[in-house]
Amino acid sequence: MPLTADSAVIRRLMVRPGPAGEDRAPVPASAAAVSAVLRAFGRSPRDLPVRTVVYVGAHAPDPALAPEHEGFAVRTASAPGRALRLAHQELHDGTADFALVAGFDEPEAGTITVYAVKRAAEAVADGDAVLGVLDLATADPDAAPELTPLVHGHRATDPGRHRLLLWSGRDEQDEQRVRGELLPLLSGLHHEAFPALPTVVPCGTEPGPVRGAAVTVAALSAAAVHKARAVTAKRPRPVALLFPGQGSQHHAMAAGLYGREPVFTAAFDAALSHMGAEGPRIRADWLTDGRPLIPVDDVRRAQPLLFAVDYALGRMVIGWGVRPTAVLGHSAGELVAAAIAGAVALPDAVAMVMERVREAVKIPPGGMLAVAAEEHRLRPYLRDDVAIAAVNANQQTMLAGSAEPLAEIAQALRADGLTVVTVPATSPFHSPAMAPASRAVEEAYRDIPLRPPALPLYSGYTGELLRPEEAVSPRFWARQITDTVYFKQALESLLAADDMLLIEAGPRQTLTAFARRHRAVRLGASAAVPLLPGRPGTAEADRQSVLTAAARLWTEGHTPSPVALSALWTWGAGPRTAHETTAATPRLAVVTS
Amino acid sequence: MTTTTSTTVTLADLTRMLRESAGEEEGIDLDGDVLDTPFLELGYDSLALLQVIGEVQRTYGISVPDDAVVDAETPRALLELINSGQGSEA
Repeated sequence: MPLTADSAVIRRLMVRPGPAGEDRAPVPASAAAVSAVLRAFGRSPRDLPVRTVVYVGAHAPDPALAPEHEGFAVRTASAPGRALRLAHQELHDGTADFALVAGFDEPEAGTITVYAVKRAAEAVADGDAVLGVLDLATADPDAAPELTPLVHGHRATDPGRHRLLLWSGRDEQDEQRVRGELLPLLSGLHHEAFPALPTVVPCGTEPGPVRGAAVTVAALSAAAVHKARAVTAKRPRPVALLFPGQGSQHHAMAAGLYGREPVFTAAFDAALSHMGAEGPRIRADWLTDGRPLIPVDDVRRAQPLLFAVDYALGRMVIGWGVRPTAVLGHSAGELVAAAIAGAVALPDAVAMVMERVREAVKIPPGGMLAVAAEEHRLRPYLRDDVAIAAVNANQQTMLAGSAEPLAEIAQALRADGLTVVTVPATSPFHSPAMAPASRAVEEAYRDIPLRPPALPLYSGYTGELLRPEEAVSPRFWARQITDTVYFKQALESLLAADDMLLIEAGPRQTLTAFARRHRAVRLGASAAVPLLPGRPGTAEADRQSVLTAAARLWTEGHTPSPVALSALWTWGAGPRTAHETTAATPRLAVVTS
Repeated sequence: MTTTTSTTVTLADLTRMLRESAGEEEGIDLDGDVLDTPFLELGYDSLALLQVIGEVQRTYGISVPDDAVVDAETPRALLELINSGQGSEA
């Protein structure tokens, strides 16, 4: 069973109401008990996910128990086992994202066992500590399902793969000494041992401020460590994540991480699991060696895939233990920023993307142009439904509109000596041509629960920090389809707030290039680091690029989790059945003999 | 030293045009060792490069192949392409 079909228990707690030591009487499944369940894990109910449901598994629930309590749906089942099964069903039907399942008088009278359950792929993507997955194969529907350990991929080392070597010292001399300990290990290294070396040297000590890093394969490791330049890390700059939008896509973007990095893989699969029947088709087109059924530049592929890739990259970085201080997305990337910042739940963000795509394909074909000029220089050329689509950086502005007038404007601009590049896009996003789509998605967005973001989100539509009332406005999100993206201004606001380490969580290095043209980055006050290569390349190039970004975080003075990082050279998704089948075979043999 | 009729585009020329194309004022570090620094690291994406190449063609009357943007990843590579391309065109 794939991870996306499982439900994970991420917390479990036994509560014994009433005074200790007395005879245990059954606990009444009442409204008061539901209030206690909502607070069982010490969080305020306001901080629970938007679509949290409470399941009460009790033989005789209080008849006065209402189907809604404190704004949360409450459902009852005759036994704790049934409640867990129903919760699993509901999580995978998509009407709930989080279930608090309370087994009354479970495992014994007078005790409530509360389980916090969510979809397993999302639990892995979100970095939850998974206690186990519900094993629903048990025949008795009343019995509580067993928890089986979550198995996600397996250890898969390959000495030919790139890995990270990170080291540090208290001062420059100490760094030299540590490096001196590492070098003889590498020069006399048995190839197979390379992936097993610790991520961080010396281990057992807190990292010092003088830092070195190498991204290398076994054969070149000694030379790479030898010539690495040590950096004295000062105050590490806070990290902001940048999410690119349409135009950055390419075939098989980030595919080198799929099946090779567990959090990326789980988050990507989780995003696609909310795309319905399109999900598997989108994945197949993404991974195919041949011709995709629908090319990646088509809005039906570009937008869902960019969302999934950006989101999965963001989750991966957070999974390293690097908490972003702010998020900023370009165009469609702003929805990823919203999902990462907690303004919208993952399934809802995906629904918003898919709704946008559905409406965009109904619009007569159009396109987008990137022009090497300032916005004011292009205004005189605008006509019909062609508009300023995006202001990206100094001397870089995008236009969008219906195909015919856009082509004529491109010709006029070129005739006047301006440099014009056609952006791979089939829809005239950020132009009035998209108005019917904007109106239609606004209708659909009204049903989506929106919250103010938990992380500062800089919006390309206001050029500023997103305000709470904008975050919860369906109209604000719907209008993004027709409105101009002021990325340059949003980046300006972000970099004015603090000096930042900007990490581009998406394919290519479009936003990194924009940021590098910003004065603060030019002067070195802030820095921009891409996660992926600037041009489509091999799967190994994807991983090498991600490792280089991780090395950069290390030399900046951040301390990403060595265990999480090492997955990039020690993990492989594989059939979960690899060892299960060998264990199951003899049992089957017994049954049939 | 031989006198040639053709003009050679120097790093200084290229740097000036790169600055202009980015619309940047003072304070940009293009003076360091930029010859072998990838354009992307300098903040020049394909559009900015195309613009610089266009500028070179107009100013120096040199024709540069269209795929220079793809082939030339660094200022050194671009200069070589520009200056050699000019030789073969002449």
